[in-house]
Amino acid sequence: MRKSFMIARSNMRKSKGQTAAIIVLILIAALMLNLWLMLSTDYKANFNRYHDKLNAEHVTLSISGNEEEKREFLLQTFEKDNHIAQYCLDNCMHMTGSFPYNGGRMNGWFVFLEKEKALTRLIGKAEIVEEGAFASGVYLPMLYKSDDIVVGETIEISIGSSKVTYTVCGFFNSVMMGSHNCALTELILTEDKYAELEMAGYAPQAALCSVRLKDKSENLNYEALLKSTITERYPDIIMTSNCYDIVTQSRYISQMICSGIMSAMAFFVLLIALVVIISNIINYIQVNMKNLGALKAAGYTSGQLIGALLLQFLGLTMLVAMVGAGLSYCLFPAVNTMMIAQTGIPYEIHFLPIPFVSSLGILGGVVSVAVWYASRRIKKIEPITALRCGVQTHNFKRNYVPFEKTKVPLHFALALKTTLSGMKYNVTVCITMLVLSLVVVFSGLMTENVIMDMTPFLNLIVGETADSCINIQVEMEEDFLEEMDADERVEKAYLYHSLNVSHVDGAELMATLCDDFSKVNNPNVVFEGRFPKYDNEIAIAAKYAKEHGFKVGDEIEITANGKLEKYLICGFTQITNNLGRDCLFTRAGYERLGSLANTSYYINLENGTDIDEFNLEMKEKFEGGVNTTINVVETIEGAAGVYVSLMTIIVIAILVLSAIIIAFVLYLLVRTMLNNKKHDYGIMKALGFTTGQLILQTAMSFMPAIILASFIGLIGCSFIINPLTALFLQGLGIVKCTFKIPIDFIVAAGIGLVVFAFVTVCLLALKIREIAPRALLFGE
Amino acid sequence: MKEILLKTEKLSKSFSNGGFMQHVLKNIDLQLYKGDFTVIMGASGAGKSTLLYALSGMDTPTLGMITFGNKVISDLSQDGLAVFRREHCGFVFQQIYLIDGMSVMDNVLSAGLLVSRDKRALIRRAKELFAAVDIGEETQLKFPAQISGGEAQRVGIVRALINSPEILFADEPTGALNSKTGLDVLDTLTKFNEQGQSVVMVTHDMRSARRGNRILYLKDGVILGECDLGRYSHKDAGRHEKLSEFLQRMGW
Ligand SMILES: Nc1ncnc2c1ncn2[C@@H]1O[C@H](COP(=O)(O)OP(=O)(O)O)[C@@H](O)[C@H]1O
Ligand SMILES: [Mg+2]
Repeated sequence: MRKSFMIARSNMRKSKGQTAAIIVLILIAALMLNLWLMLSTDYKANFNRYHDKLNAEHVTLSISGNEEEKREFLLQTFEKDNHIAQYCLDNCMHMTGSFPYNGGRMNGWFVFLEKEKALTRLIGKAEIVEEGAFASGVYLPMLYKSDDIVVGETIEISIGSSKVTYTVCGFFNSVMMGSHNCALTELILTEDKYAELEMAGYAPQAALCSVRLKDKSENLNYEALLKSTITERYPDIIMTSNCYDIVTQSRYISQMICSGIMSAMAFFVLLIALVVIISNIINYIQVNMKNLGALKAAGYTSGQLIGALLLQFLGLTMLVAMVGAGLSYCLFPAVNTMMIAQTGIPYEIHFLPIPFVSSLGILGGVVSVAVWYASRRIKKIEPITALRCGVQTHNFKRNYVPFEKTKVPLHFALALKTTLSGMKYNVTVCITMLVLSLVVVFSGLMTENVIMDMTPFLNLIVGETADSCINIQVEMEEDFLEEMDADERVEKAYLYHSLNVSHVDGAELMATLCDDFSKVNNPNVVFEGRFPKYDNEIAIAAKYAKEHGFKVGDEIEITANGKLEKYLICGFTQITNNLGRDCLFTRAGYERLGSLANTSYYINLENGTDIDEFNLEMKEKFEGGVNTTINVVETIEGAAGVYVSLMTIIVIAILVLSAIIIAFVLYLLVRTMLNNKKHDYGIMKALGFTTGQLILQTAMSFMPAIILASFIGLIGCSFIINPLTALFLQGLGIVKCTFKIPIDFIVAAGIGLVVFAFVTVCLLALKIREIAPRALLFGE
Repeated sequence: MKEILLKTEKLSKSFSNGGFMQHVLKNIDLQLYKGDFTVIMGASGAGKSTLLYALSGMDTPTLGMITFGNKVISDLSQDGLAVFRREHCGFVFQQIYLIDGMSVMDNVLSAGLLVSRDKRALIRRAKELFAAVDIGEETQLKFPAQISGGEAQRVGIVRALINSPEILFADEPTGALNSKTGLDVLDTLTKFNEQGQSVVMVTHDMRSARRGNRILYLKDGVILGECDLGRYSHKDAGRHEKLSEFLQRMGW
């Protein structure tokens, strides 16, 4: 053991550059690995911790009106139901509204609660996380704390078509109603303001039902069941709801994306670290063949020699991994701030032993295997042969690119000789470039489809979008459509209305109806087959179809309003809104099951039209006939803006990281190569090669691998990036991703990558200047 | 009157060794002539190699001037020197210094292609030279590690001559060889000199030195004396005495 330790120490001293490289790579790998494990394990667990702590609901439902009779019905329903573990029913006010947020507007269904009640509810109580000394005003979910929204400032909130101004008293944490993607957004008012709003009547009275189930996993189905029970009794009611699955999923999308990317990066960095370690060991064995032979002759066993290497690399890895994992705690606050801005749920950073130990374990295990793999050949060294013949650093199997035969010019030929006889450099270069290609293609994809123009991203995540969405009473429909036709600002208006139906023997599905699917803005919602055309057709979510073994052309039984009908599946959809429990009907198709009381229309407006103004105008024009209007663009931009900033940070971070990695790997390779070639280059200089020629040769010798790997990598990755992204987002119900691949960007990036690598190698090879032919004097 | 090939004026070379200056060459004025087989002799550490490397543009002198033909080479840049070396000089090293990674033929051609683009002519010349030094076709395709030291040094000579240099520099070319193969190498050098090749050879071995027609003796960085031996002849009995007598005078 002591002997092994001594050998290990002298090895490390001899290859300082490589050791430094391995340290940095392992450090980054450990950092990202630990960060990823923390994010993916504890972050979601944190949601559950808060869910338990605040005794939060599994299903939440807000129903307009709080008449005694309705309350009685609800109480009875809950009382009878044997799914329910606990429930509570409170008075609230319930209305769509908006307020300025992050440069856009936050739109949604607001649930107004009185402070005392909100903080003491049996189920789903709120928890104040920040509070000023203001006695009168509003408390907002902590997610909305931002540059403009701070304690003490005033905020103007639109409620329906009215506006109110409150002082921001503080922020609270609500698990199920604390963000814009929860369907319901809780706003807490102080007693006086609540009474005031009640008096003003801007927001109708409503009943807020919160339910905890015996079996949490039933939440999605129970929500649907409850809703259909209620609609059956009260068909013409406004109802908004959410459930545990949807809320966790939507509040953790970005955390999922972020940790996915983090894990991929950790994997890649680790891969490169392994390649470096393996090539280091192979090189070490080659250079030290004689010494190893001597050691063997002196009585060391192969096991001891391999043990020394194992000790060297494993010891180093563990030490560095510990520091790296430790460093991730320094980086965590920044990531945490970013994440909290997405989840809106406070997270306290604390030491997590399991990710820590797992990171060390993964790194240690993988490095050990790599060391063992690379050092196996020590076993084959025969002490006598090694001593007698010494090292043969080159394999003399072939004289690559013989000058006599080749037409290639001298310097290219010399570079090619180097390339072909140094396969381990090529492997390292290729793996690095392949990884970087993936990073570049991903960055390009995100830049094109999220950062520059997020429409493709929205199309994927949100599904259908338009400028405005107006919900009207059916009686008004004809007048409304006439008006839409006449209005010059309206480019198109089409029915896009969602409601619930049930799959017989299956789950509740969110059905979306359209009178003519050729009018929709996002034809990619159906990615296989086609949109429904006839009244016997249905398109269903691919995820749901997969779970139930449906194929296009199959028949499916759907029930609603007590009626049951059969439909033919004509296509598969992917919409993330409902975690892959969606379906599409034509209007006529749905009307076989029941009639509509109100309908939502999606409207495209001419560029430059003020959407809010348009909505208000329509509301006034169809007094009483318009139930709700939504500024879709604003709603989506408010919610999606954070994705853009998150993606920008991620893209910049991974690009910087890649540049560092490529520079690093090349540094390492060039150094090793120059060390090995110092002697040859000395001779060549003596023969009259200039420094410039040798630098060029060195750089060119890397180029075949760099160009080939980048070329193959970029093309290959362009093909797999969409499926890969889809795989990432699988949990959301995405099956197929059709992001536009920015070919010009990728071509430019490919050229950039190659040029960057070439310039880097040239710069690194400047060290050749220091090789003097006179060094040959001493027989070095 | 012989034609001057290379001339030095007040050539000095110093190295700083751990803070103090070591003056290895001191104000050397020297002329080398075309067609000569010049031998530089001296004890180990006398500065022979340093002188040879300065003369051949491998290294720059600390002070003084070196003129090749009518071109001053002592103030050329590193790259300028490289170009000078490849065009005008050939080198044979004690340690031979072939490049391990390529075949014998490619070792020779890599030096040749650096100067000439006429590959056909180069290959022809290489084959002639190989034939002259008795290196067969088979050996030409081998790697340096696969041939004997004597063969390797003869390949070294072929590489040095591939560009038909004006001067062939050799630094103890037989130093790493046994006496039999050393003799072969000396014979080769002598043969090329007889064909008109100017040779400058450093040695501290009398048997090698005998080959030269002009012997310079270097001691403590100055040329202490020189001796004209006349053209080498195999049978010349008095040659050895003449050289020993000279060396004795120099304090050998
Ligand atoms: N690059 C150098 N740096 C320091 N000292 C050197 C250097 N080159 C040569 N010397 C010194 O110059 C002296 C002469 O060396 P050298 O020319 O190799 O002698 P010779 O070839 O005659 O044996 C030696 O003492 C050597 O230590
Ligand atoms: Mg010497």
